[in-house]
Amino acid sequence: MRLFVRRLFASQEIGLVLVLVLVTVTLTTLAGSHPDRQTGETVNNFWNSYTLIQTATDASFFAVMAIGATIVIISGGIDLSVGSIYALSGVAMALFLRATGEMSPVATTLTGLFVCVGVGLACGLINGALVVGLRVHPFIITLGTMWVLRGIAFVATKAESILVPAPLTAVTKASLGLGGGLYPVPMLTMLALTVLGAIYLTRTTMGRRIFAFGGNLEASRFAGLSLSRIQIGVFAVSGLTAGLAAFLGAGFYGSVSSGDAQGYELYVIASAVVGGASLLGGKGSALGAMLGALLIVLIRQSIRTLHFDQNYEWIVIGCAIIIAVVVDQWSTRLTARRLSQLAQRAPAA
Amino acid sequence: MVRMTRRAALAITVGLAITACGGGGEGAADSRTAAQPATPGAAGPAGAKYTIAVIAKSSNNPVFQAARTGAEAAAKELSAKHGIDVQIAWLTPPTEDGQIQAQRIQQAVNDGASAILISCSDAGKVTGAINDAVARGVPVMTFDSDAPQSQRFAYYGVDDIKTGNAVMAELATLMGGKGKIGILAGNQNAPNLQKRVQGVKEEAAKSPGIQIVGTFNHVETPQDAAAEVTRVGNAYPDIQGWAMIGGWALFTQSLLTDLDPNRVKIASVDALPAQLAYVDKGIAPVLLAQPVYQWGHVGVTTVIDKIHFKKDVPTIIPMELVKVTKANLGEWARQLKEWGFNDVPEAYLKL
Repeated sequence: MRLFVRRLFASQEIGLVLVLVLVTVTLTTLAGSHPDRQTGETVNNFWNSYTLIQTATDASFFAVMAIGATIVIISGGIDLSVGSIYALSGVAMALFLRATGEMSPVATTLTGLFVCVGVGLACGLINGALVVGLRVHPFIITLGTMWVLRGIAFVATKAESILVPAPLTAVTKASLGLGGGLYPVPMLTMLALTVLGAIYLTRTTMGRRIFAFGGNLEASRFAGLSLSRIQIGVFAVSGLTAGLAAFLGAGFYGSVSSGDAQGYELYVIASAVVGGASLLGGKGSALGAMLGALLIVLIRQSIRTLHFDQNYEWIVIGCAIIIAVVVDQWSTRLTARRLSQLAQRAPAA
Repeated sequence: MVRMTRRAALAITVGLAITACGGGGEGAADSRTAAQPATPGAAGPAGAKYTIAVIAKSSNNPVFQAARTGAEAAAKELSAKHGIDVQIAWLTPPTEDGQIQAQRIQQAVNDGASAILISCSDAGKVTGAINDAVARGVPVMTFDSDAPQSQRFAYYGVDDIKTGNAVMAELATLMGGKGKIGILAGNQNAPNLQKRVQGVKEEAAKSPGIQIVGTFNHVETPQDAAAEVTRVGNAYPDIQGWAMIGGWALFTQSLLTDLDPNRVKIASVDALPAQLAYVDKGIAPVLLAQPVYQWGHVGVTTVIDKIHFKKDVPTIIPMELVKVTKANLGEWARQLKEWGFNDVPEAYLKL
């Protein structure tokens, strides 16, 4: 038991979990309450099943993408095109389902999932192939594909907002026995993907190679790793998770358009960074990405729960992210300097 | 672990500190209130508290800030007049995003809002959330941009096709029924703007002398819109008129010097303070104003009629456009000032 507790507290993400708990307690304490419309009972404005699941749902679309994006970041790259992949995957799915006509609910759902994830995966593979083939920095390649993919979505939809078939909404908004108004599917998908991502990164050879590649490129090369395969692989995973997020979003909200997820890449990268990923590569985790997304959504939620003016949202989120990361880096340098000074003193003693 | 804790703690501390600095000023919701259940057909009790969540398309757009002013003014007036407490919770996202709007609808319901007033960025995206809100007992009304397939109880706004018709009819009159024109069309994804473009084209078809050289979409910021007008002007030097289905380009001052009023005429939707100089200079002799303040004022009044007074309200409440020309420039400028616009040029207030 003691070993378990020690391991738990030694884990990389426990700090983030503690902060999330702290924020949750703070918001619950300060939120106030209101009478429930249906039961008449007094419920806390934050600590109620509707708000908690809704907060997790809002975070899930970012978090699913952030897990893929974190894998790219661990490899030392960056993927700015995830928002556009999200839009194109959703649009491709809706157009495909419209073209195929009516099918059974199961066939519609499976086809939709296959098309959405497939298009996302294809976009990711293209990103990876371009980065490797053209030997151009991922920032430039994905900056370009960010525009190209959204442009394709725009041309394909002719700027229409396309409704998705009802079975997709029935799946993504299934209450799973929780009752009307509670939709846990995106949240459960996020949790499942976090577990899968963690296993992939920490328990598979490919996962360890990604850390090696991002941590020390030259060492990885001398170790004989297939660097091209790793790079293409990480972008493929990022595209795949963006496609999955698009499937969840399209079903949950009931329609798609070429303007979907505009600017979400920044939330996704912010989630990864707040979750502990280093933009220099070699560091990050799937759980951290999910917790980072939850934290960002909680910061947003706190503005509403504490009744602050909505117009301050950008300022709050932007400052929180920048200051947190800059101070963290400054603190890391300070620690490194102290260690270096200690090392210099040691021989003299 | 320490590093992760530090990073997360910093993020949240800074976040909460900044929100605190931001203040819970005007528009802050008091979601500790809720709709008061009342007997159908009878007015709600005196002293009843109502929180109306207002979700416009984007906080970046001045027309929605005017709507907010209207909503808050209506809340104050209704509270004083009927002895009730009406609060406005401003839940508008910073930029247009149908998905975020759907999330804000859910949040409003979770916070115990009495009703929701929304201008839909993407009807398809918010229809499900509106229906969920209605299913949980929260009535929803739309303004400016509707979600006709949803269970909202009313819509207040202009008829977009008729607005497009009106813009083109005014432009055709200004141009003597002939010449080449462009349509400045804003965001290509916005359904209400697509309808206005359709209205312009339908009306243009009635004037054989009018030739549309193109429909030009752009990011909906004043600078992008003005730059698009300049770019198109360079590409089509013989263009003689602009049908602007939104006023974005005229929120800048650059076209005051870049366009020759003797060569190019503009008819535009909206008549906000920055646009008045274009009327005065004869570049845009006709503006068709949406009384945007009324989105909030009429919206909140209608919601209170519905939830407090239990009145039957019409499903569609048409908003009439106001034609602004040199003849009524002063009157309109004073109206804008009264509605809370602080940047109305003094010269026009004196007219």
